[in-house]
Amino acid sequence: MKAFGVAGVLIGSLALQMAFARFAVGGRWSIDLVLVAVAFIALKWGPGAGVIGGTIGGITQDALAGNTIGVSGLAKTIVGFFVGVIGSQFVVARPAPRMVVVACASIANRLLVLAISSAIELHWAGVSWAAMLTEMGLNALGALILFQSIETVPSLMRRRPSRRSNFGKRKW
Amino acid sequence: MIDIRRRTTFFFLAVSLGHVLLISAQVQAKSGMPVLEDVAFGAFARVQGGLAGLGDGVSSMWRNYFALRGLAAENAALRAQVSQLQGQLQAESAISAQTHGLEEALNLQKTVTQRTLAARVIAGDPSPGALTITIDRGSADGLRENMAVIAPGGVVGRIFRQPTAHAASVQLLIGHNAGAGAIIERIQAGGVAVGLGVGDDPPINLNFINKSYEIKVGDTVVTSGQDGIFPAGFLIGKVERVDRGGSTTYKTIAIRPAVNFSHLSVVLVVLDPPAPDAGAIK
Repeated sequence: MKAFGVAGVLIGSLALQMAFARFAVGGRWSIDLVLVAVAFIALKWGPGAGVIGGTIGGITQDALAGNTIGVSGLAKTIVGFFVGVIGSQFVVARPAPRMVVVACASIANRLLVLAISSAIELHWAGVSWAAMLTEMGLNALGALILFQSIETVPSLMRRRPSRRSNFGKRKW
Repeated sequence: MIDIRRRTTFFFLAVSLGHVLLISAQVQAKSGMPVLEDVAFGAFARVQGGLAGLGDGVSSMWRNYFALRGLAAENAALRAQVSQLQGQLQAESAISAQTHGLEEALNLQKTVTQRTLAARVIAGDPSPGALTITIDRGSADGLRENMAVIAPGGVVGRIFRQPTAHAASVQLLIGHNAGAGAIIERIQAGGVAVGLGVGDDPPINLNFINKSYEIKVGDTVVTSGQDGIFPAGFLIGKVERVDRGGSTTYKTIAIRPAVNFSHLSVVLVVLDPPAPDAGAIK
């Protein structure tokens, strides 16, 4: 069940990311929904799931983007692990803490990608703090939407039969 | 503080390492090699360098410290070898000198008309007043008493005693009571060269030279052949000092011998006696 959940979340986030990507061409803003998905997986199922989700999601992202395979994978693996650790140590159930965690994860992920890329290319590419903060904000917003959506859908699914039942009782 | 399962941590580290290897396999270093190969090669080269340095250090320690234990024995062996080689060198030098003497004797032998026999000096007898040497030829070689013995430099002496089969004693001309008929070559004045033995310098006197002769220092003195022992014409030495002789009718002439008697190694024994009419003097 966990595996299916991880796979579903990753596939959904990748599909959404690719759908939003065409609006992000030009670099004015960017969002990393895969990172949001990894954070969600790590918070929901623990650091092991965060590692798996980060690995699969990051490598898939690298492969689709044509980058060096493993750069995003390594960054998201690290982020997924530590987010999972944080989720297992602290109560991160409310929307605000989750947004903070995702925001920090976004910063960490971006810095890790920059560091790994710089290590490969042997020069520091530089940090665009504005772009980083924008991405952080968008990721946090995306996380809020994703978390609320994912947690709301099952409750909605649970409510619908009860309404039918009530409606059935009204049948007099 | 962080309460996580150990297995998850190991899993995380393994996956991270896998990512690093995956990235390294794709990225090329400045040398053109994949980073993975470059790092592996560099790391292995460092390990090899370390091992080589360790090996060199151990080898150096072995040479510089442990090998010292065998150095004393090696040193002793080398010293013995040096001593042996020095002995061999001295022997070779002696052989060389002996060969040189033999060559000189051979050249002399060619110039001497009489039959001669080369002999090696094997012993000496520096007793006061009777200087003798022993040669390695004897009666078996045809040597007899009173045969003349010469050297490349000049007259040495005579065989003064019946030789044994393989050895003979030679009385040196400088010995006490030794004598030879002699003449001063420039003026053909005859006399007797007499050895003075140890203590006189020069060790030979030329006696019975009449005062009427004008003798000059440096005049050459040779054998006259009248003594029946030494063939005529062999060099005895040069006049070094001339005494008027006081009231006597003869001069006393000191002769510096031509032969260095302290360096005799090879001599020639004249086998043929001088002709009775040889060495006629004034």
